[in-house]
Amino acid sequence: MLPIVSLTLFLPLAGAALILALPGPTARTVHSIGIGTASLTLVGALAMWLEGVSGAGFSQVEELEWIPAIGAAYRVGVDGISLPLVLLSAMLFLGAFIYASSLRERPRAYVALVLLLETAAIGTFAALDGILFYVFFEVSLVSMYFMIAGWGHEDRQRAALMFFIYTLLGSLPLLLAILGLYLGSPDPSFDMRAWIANPPLEGAAAMWALVAMLVTFAVKIPAVPLHTWLPAAHVQAPTVGSVILAGIMLKFGTYGLVRFALQMTPEAFHEAGVVVLVFGVIGALYGAFAALAQTDLKRLVAYTSINHMGYVIIGVAVAALALDPSVRATALDGAVLQMFSHGLVTGALFFLVGMIQERAHTREMGEFGGLLKTVPLLGWSFMLAAFASLGLPGLAHFPGEFQIFLGTLGSVPAAVVSILGLAIIAGTFLKAIRETFLGEPQSRWHSMPDLSLREVLALAPLLVLTVATGVAPSWVLDTIHRTASALVL
Amino acid sequence: MGRDLALLIPEIAVLLAAVSALIAEILRRPRASLALAMLGLFVATGLTIRLVGTDTTVFGGSFRIDALSIWAKLILLPATMLSLLLASAEVRGTVREGTVYSLLCLATVGALILAGAGDMMFLVLGLLLTSLATFALVAYPDDDPATEAAMKYFVFGSVAGAVMIFGLTYWFGAAGSTMIADLEGTEAIPLAVIFGLVAVIVGLGYKASLVPFHFWVPDAYEGGPLSVAAFLSVVPKVGALFALTQVFRDLPSESGGPAVIAGLAVLSMTYGYLAALVQDNVVRLLAYSSIAQSGYFLLGIVALGESSFALPSIIFFAAAYAAMNLGAFAVIAAVGRTLNDFNGLGRAQPLVGVAMVLFLLSLVGIPPLAGFVGKFLLFAAAIHAQFTWLAVVAILNSVLALAVYMRIIVPMYRQEEVPHDAASIWIDIVTLTALLATVTIGLAAQFFFVKSMA
Repeated sequence: MLPIVSLTLFLPLAGAALILALPGPTARTVHSIGIGTASLTLVGALAMWLEGVSGAGFSQVEELEWIPAIGAAYRVGVDGISLPLVLLSAMLFLGAFIYASSLRERPRAYVALVLLLETAAIGTFAALDGILFYVFFEVSLVSMYFMIAGWGHEDRQRAALMFFIYTLLGSLPLLLAILGLYLGSPDPSFDMRAWIANPPLEGAAAMWALVAMLVTFAVKIPAVPLHTWLPAAHVQAPTVGSVILAGIMLKFGTYGLVRFALQMTPEAFHEAGVVVLVFGVIGALYGAFAALAQTDLKRLVAYTSINHMGYVIIGVAVAALALDPSVRATALDGAVLQMFSHGLVTGALFFLVGMIQERAHTREMGEFGGLLKTVPLLGWSFMLAAFASLGLPGLAHFPGEFQIFLGTLGSVPAAVVSILGLAIIAGTFLKAIRETFLGEPQSRWHSMPDLSLREVLALAPLLVLTVATGVAPSWVLDTIHRTASALVL
Repeated sequence: MGRDLALLIPEIAVLLAAVSALIAEILRRPRASLALAMLGLFVATGLTIRLVGTDTTVFGGSFRIDALSIWAKLILLPATMLSLLLASAEVRGTVREGTVYSLLCLATVGALILAGAGDMMFLVLGLLLTSLATFALVAYPDDDPATEAAMKYFVFGSVAGAVMIFGLTYWFGAAGSTMIADLEGTEAIPLAVIFGLVAVIVGLGYKASLVPFHFWVPDAYEGGPLSVAAFLSVVPKVGALFALTQVFRDLPSESGGPAVIAGLAVLSMTYGYLAALVQDNVVRLLAYSSIAQSGYFLLGIVALGESSFALPSIIFFAAAYAAMNLGAFAVIAAVGRTLNDFNGLGRAQPLVGVAMVLFLLSLVGIPPLAGFVGKFLLFAAAIHAQFTWLAVVAILNSVLALAVYMRIIVPMYRQEEVPHDAASIWIDIVTLTALLATVTIGLAAQFFFVKSMA
C-alpha cells in the first residue's frame, strides 16, 4: 500500500529540491518541473479523493515516530473537512504554475518557493499532530513573505514585512494553545485525534485556549478588526501570491477554526459562540461595504474575501451554538463548502485581475470601459467568476451560503441580517462589471490582446468547477457531509 | 582515583590539546598548532561518546559526569572546532597565531568545568579559566578598539568574579562544605543562602551575558576578532548557563531563585532584542541578540525540578543555539560587519544568502528549524512549571526577534549588488556544517530525550 498522503505532501518539496540541485537550469526547464510536479501532486490528491473518507474520525492515516518521549510524531490523514481543501490546493497550485510559466525574473527561486508553499498548504490541511500542524502553518508564512518581498509590486518590502510580523504575532498564541492542550491531556501526546476525541481542557483553561486560537485564526482568516494586513498584502503581492493567499491561506484560518477551536474546545466554543457569531456578521457586512467603496479591482476582490470568510465564521459559530445535530451538520456543511468554493472563485478572480493588470498596468476601474468588446474571453470569464462570487444560484457560492443561512435560521435567526451583505456584494460586482467591461470601448485599450492559451489553461478548470459545484454540489458535499454529520461535539 | 581520571579523559584530552598547541607555537609551527588543537578536540569528542548515559560523580561528588556535562562536551567541543576553523581563516599569518588556538582550547576546558561543577570551587575555577583565556583572546588584535574592549571585559569580569567568590563564602558558612548538593539541608540560615545565590547569579550571569550583567558583551564582540566573538557567544555562555542549571538543581525550592531567574529572563530577552533593533553593526546586533537568547535558556532553568522537560529543553536549545549562532557568525566572517555589506547578498551569492536566512529564522524560532524545537520545548517546560506568563513574554519577544533579524534579511534581497569576495574555504565549511546541524537537529530531537533522561 502506497503512502498516498505523504507522497502527495512531499512531492512538491522533492520538486523544489530537484530545481535547486540542477546546475543552472533554463527558465523553461524550471517551469516544466514546476508544472510536472504540481500535476503529479494533483494526481495524488485525486487518488486521495477516490480513496474517500469514512464517516467519523480520520481516514488514510499515516504515522511515523518522531519524539516518542513527548508523544510527538509525524501523523497525517484526512477527513471530509480537510480532503476538499487538499484537492482545492492541488488544483489551484497547478493553475498557478501554468499561469506563472511566462515568468522570466529569477524563475528558479520563484518556482522552488511556490513548491515549498504547496507542501506547506497541503501539510497544514493533512497534519494530525499539533507540532506538525504548527510547522506547516509557519512555513507557509515564510515562503509567502519571500514571495511578496521578491516578486511583488512597488511597495512590496514594507507590505511583506507587515504581513510577516502581523501574522507571526498572530500565530504565536496558537503555539500557547497547543502547549496548553498538550499539558492538559491525561496521557501527554500531540496527537490531534486524541485531542478531538477527548477535549483535554475544560473550564477557564479551555476558554483561554479558545481565546488564543481565535486570535490566531482571526488574523489568518482575516476577521474584522484583525484584517488590516490583507488589503496591503494583496495589493503588493504578485498575482500568483494573491491567488494562493486568498484561495488557500485564508482557509488555514477557517479550517483551524473548525479543526482546533470547534473540535478541541467544543464547550468553550459553545459558550462563546455568540461572540464569534457577532464577529462573523460584522466581518460579512464590513467586507461588503468596504468592497463597495473600492476603485482598485484587486482591493475590491480582497475585501469581498473578508465578506465571504465572514459567512464561514457564521457557519462555524452556528454549528457550535446549534443544539440540533441536523442544524449543526447543515451549517458546517455550508461553511466547508463555502471555503471550497471561495478558493475556486476568488482564485479565478485574482487570476483575472492579474491578467488585466499585466495588459494595462493599472487596476483602477475608472480607467477602463467597454473591455468586453476588446477582450471578450477575459470579460466573460470575469463576469462568470463575479456572478459566482455574488452568490448567483447555479454557481459555486450559492449552495454553501444557502446552507449557512439555513443553519442560521434554524438556531440564531437574528444573524440572518448578514444576508444584507449579499445584496451589497451584488451591487459591488455589478458596478465593477459596468465600469470595466461595459460601455464604450476606450481607444487606448484597442490593442489589448485576449486570453492566451496559457491563461485559458490556468483559468478553465477553476471556472468549470465553479459551475459544476453550483449545479451539482453533491460531488463535494457528500464527502463533507459524511464527516459533518458524524461529528460529535 | 584511576576511575575518576578515566571518566575525565575528555577534559584531559582538551587540556593536552591546549598544551600541545602552545608547544607547537613555541616551536613556530602555527599550522601544527592548529592541527594538534583540532585533533585533540576531535579525540575528546570521540572519547565522550562512550560516556553517554553515564550519571555519576568524580572526586567525591565535586565534579559531575551527568547528562549536562556530557552533552556540554558533545555540543561545545564541536563548537570549539568550528571556532578554530573560523579563527584560522582570520588570524592566519599574524604573529603568535598558535596562542589563539591554545587559548581557545583552554577557555573550552573552563566551560566544561563549569558545566559539570558540583562544588563551589569548581564554579570559581571554571569561571576564572574561561575569563582569563578570553580576556587575552579579545585583546589579540593589539589595536585600540581591541585593547579597550579587553580592558572593559577584564574589569567587569574581575569584579563579577570577586562578587561571586565573596558570596560563595556565605554558602560555605551556611552549609559547612563547598559542595553545592549540601545546600539543600541549610534552611536554618536562609538569608545566607539567598545572599550567596545573588552573588552566584552575578558571577555566572556575567559569563552568560544576562541583563543587567551584559555591558561588556557588545564591546568585547565588536573589538575582538570575529572568531573570538563567535566563540564567546557560544562556548563560555553555554558553560555558564549549564553551571547555573547545576546550581539550581540542588537549590532549596523556597529560596525564591526561580522568581529571580524569571525576572532576569524577561529583562534579558526584552532588553536584548530592543537594543539589537537599533544597531547598524551586525556584530553588535548579534551580540545583543545573543543576550536575548540567553534569556530563553532561563525558561528551562526556572522549570527545573517542576517539569520533566526542563533538562532536555536546556540541552537541546544549547545544541540548536550553538549551530545557528556559529553559522550566523560564519556568514558575517565571509560577508562583512555592517548591515550595508549585506545589501544584495541574496542575489550575488544565493546559497550563502539562503544559509543566512535559515540561521536567522532559526534564531527567531520559525519551524521546522532547530531553534523552533528548542524554544518550543523551553516554552513547554515553563508552562508546565506554572510560569505561563513567562512563556507569554517569551513568545511576544519572538515577534521582536523577527523584527530584529529581518533587518539583516531585508537588505539581502534588495536590487543593488555590492561586490563580495569569495570567502576562505574553511569559512564555507563552517557555514555548511552549521547549516546541516540547524536543519536536521530538530529531526533528531528524540536522541536528546533518551540520552538525557537515561
